[in-house]
Amino acid sequence: MATTKLKSDNLFEMMKIHLDSDTGKELIKNIGLVYQINITPKKIGFDEVSYIVDLKKEEVTKGKYEGGKPDATFSFKNDDFIRVATGKMNPQIAFMRGAMKIKGSLSAAQKFTPDIFPKPAKM
Amino acid sequence: MSMRELVTGGAACAVPGSSSSSSNPLGAFANALIGSSSKTQGVLKEIPNAAAASPHAQFYPHADDPVAALPGSELDRPSLQSNPQGSEFIRGFRTADANGLADAWEEIQRQPHFDRVYEGATPAPPIQPSLDGPPQRVLSSFLHSFVDSSRSGIPLHPTPLPLLGLSQGDKQCIRDRSSIMARHIFADKSEEFINAQVNALLSSLEIENDIHARGPMPGRFRELEDYWNESQGVPKPGAHAADGWVTEFSQNRPHHGDLEAWPHSFEQKHGAGGWASEFEQEQAQLTSVDQMRGGNIESLAAIQQTRMLAHTLSQNSDPKFQNSKFLQFVSKMSRGELIIDDNQVKPASENWATEYQQQYNGGASWADEFVHDEVFRGPDHWANEFGAERLQQESVDDQWVNEFSKLHVDDWAEEFGRQVGEGALGDSSSDNWANSYDEFLNEQLAAKQRSDASRGVYVFSDMNPYVGHQNPLKEGQELFRKGLLSEAVLALEAEVMKNPENAEGWRLLGITHAENDDDQQAIAAMMLAQEADPTNLEVLLALGVSHTNELEQTAALKYLYGWLRHHPKYGTLAPPELANSLYYADVARLFNEAAQMSPEDADVHIVLGVLYNLSREYDKAIASFKTALKLKPNDYSLWNKLGATQANSVQSADAILAYQQALDLKPNYVRAWANMGISYANQGMYEESIRYYVRALAMNPKADNAWQYLRISLSCVSRNDMVEACDSRNLEILQKEFPL
Repeated sequence: MATTKLKSDNLFEMMKIHLDSDTGKELIKNIGLVYQINITPKKIGFDEVSYIVDLKKEEVTKGKYEGGKPDATFSFKNDDFIRVATGKMNPQIAFMRGAMKIKGSLSAAQKFTPDIFPKPAKM
Repeated sequence: MSMRELVTGGAACAVPGSSSSSSNPLGAFANALIGSSSKTQGVLKEIPNAAAASPHAQFYPHADDPVAALPGSELDRPSLQSNPQGSEFIRGFRTADANGLADAWEEIQRQPHFDRVYEGATPAPPIQPSLDGPPQRVLSSFLHSFVDSSRSGIPLHPTPLPLLGLSQGDKQCIRDRSSIMARHIFADKSEEFINAQVNALLSSLEIENDIHARGPMPGRFRELEDYWNESQGVPKPGAHAADGWVTEFSQNRPHHGDLEAWPHSFEQKHGAGGWASEFEQEQAQLTSVDQMRGGNIESLAAIQQTRMLAHTLSQNSDPKFQNSKFLQFVSKMSRGELIIDDNQVKPASENWATEYQQQYNGGASWADEFVHDEVFRGPDHWANEFGAERLQQESVDDQWVNEFSKLHVDDWAEEFGRQVGEGALGDSSSDNWANSYDEFLNEQLAAKQRSDASRGVYVFSDMNPYVGHQNPLKEGQELFRKGLLSEAVLALEAEVMKNPENAEGWRLLGITHAENDDDQQAIAAMMLAQEADPTNLEVLLALGVSHTNELEQTAALKYLYGWLRHHPKYGTLAPPELANSLYYADVARLFNEAAQMSPEDADVHIVLGVLYNLSREYDKAIASFKTALKLKPNDYSLWNKLGATQANSVQSADAILAYQQALDLKPNYVRAWANMGISYANQGMYEESIRYYVRALAMNPKADNAWQYLRISLSCVSRNDMVEACDSRNLEILQKEFPL
């Protein structure tokens, strides 16, 4: 169901392009980890779509991580992910409320802050 | 020893059959029943532990209240209306002599073979059921041998028993209980062993092991029931267990006028702890039932999650952690005492406790009643008890619950920050956590408004000086022209309050909000404009743009297509049927046709540009906008669109130039200022971005997006002092610190 995921899709697309820019290169230097992000339309765990934000190899891909284990895996609902990525919801708050689930290295997860995502400009 | 301590086994009795033995058989048994499931262990710990009081005699200090409390819950359940015998029995029981019960209970404790079951560090030889004697004795010894067989791991053999005169209710009860017990006692054995044991037991007693005889639970409760069932290891407990108990009592009552028999047979059938554990189950289920009544599914999900969180946290054996207020908070949440309702944390205890109190006549702290014989006073009382138990040395405010529900941020955040700092998450984040809770609070404040607006409901400003103005529309237009956008909003609101059908009023209001960088309000206003005038092209375009900004593709397509349809020139291109199943490709094609029809029409290009943004074909979008700009070079909003498109395709340098153009044309264009900030931030130039955000916010303090982005930028440059200012929306400080 493409439409419900579309919002998150957008953000990942932007991320992809963003990684090519200078700031993107900075991210790779500063973080250099691999994140897997599972997005679900309604309830975490159902109908998951996974994205890999590979800050080692500078790519953003769809689908589960093939080359081993991601450093941290997040699970969000579509809307919650948008909120966290655009800074509407603080990741710690999201975690405490159960809107964000984390697996894997906690220190890696902590580096996953809203500012690594480029913000969309408004027409 | 209070009932509570008996049930939970007190601090010292964690393992059944160990040092606990005769001093705390109840606790031991309860633990045996429940302890095997670690989840419930965690939950069990949450049951308030009374400070040690004097022994058993206090167990039934007054017959009335405990009994009222105990079965009271079941009395008032609708399912029990069909059980008049049960009620009658209970009523009769209430008049029982307290002492008789106490004596009876003492006697139970003294029963030798009862004790032997629990002293079983070394497994006793299997008890041969004595098959003669009164039915209760037979039953009792048979049940004991059942329990015993677990300890020695020897499968129970079906033994033909003389007629025990078990009623249907009895049988049902026994069946339920034994399956529950079996699952717990034999938790380490295989499923087959459990079933075999239970079947052996039941066949000896000639009870049908038809678990499915029970009716289905009401659908709503299923989720929660299942959760509890899992944790209790019970296949399908429920109201029936309670019914069974009452039925069984009612059976017993006529048979044995002697009240002494009740505790005997009860004990025999369920083991001393059974009643306590069962009540705990009941209570838990009732809690969940009440929650269902009071709350909604979503809050239940929250409850479940926090329960798991509470469980996880309680696993951490650090005593400070255990005692922290945060854990208590989470525990409370997990029990539904606080619910997250509409993005707010509220004490659910209000509904829940009052309801419970009304219905169950002083139920929740039944254990309290046993010890203190007090009427349940409300959540405070329970919380006190709970707090007293858990914190032991610390004194807990009476008003802890109320206080907490007012969310005393600092204490809690501090505490938790400390905990976390000492715990798994490491020091650096403890500050963040504390700060983030502050932010959480702020979010609550703004949440209501936001949620309103996000549902498409327009939120009017209060204290509007333009209400009652002669011609607010004209005033609004004037203010808009001058660039005083926030003022214009007020004037226009006055206009539409006066004339709700004024499409132009709503339209301009929507545009103003969009330029003020408030897409939520913009959409709300535009929708109303569209209602007032469904064919207005500008409205349709604006709606398309706003929805594109919010990444709502379907809605955006709908409006942009509507633009085409209602356009006098291109309406023919757009067949109405298509409106129901809009595919992006079709719409784009049609627009391109329109563009070919009249290449000099800037508007078509603009709409095309917006369309390409939807499909992220940024290059084409940029091309369209540039074409449009050649035709309309002084359209500031167009420059902004171009800039935004460039920014989103990460051509930030170009974007900034475009924004600059827009701002030259309209200096108070809040959206463009915010977009500038975004472009700098996306390039990692956070210092710069801060200045632009502050500038935008100075013009429109209500621009929520900008506040959030500002916060991110501030934390990127590690200006935590300013983050605080940002959270409290203190523009003065920010402006002084970050001038442009």
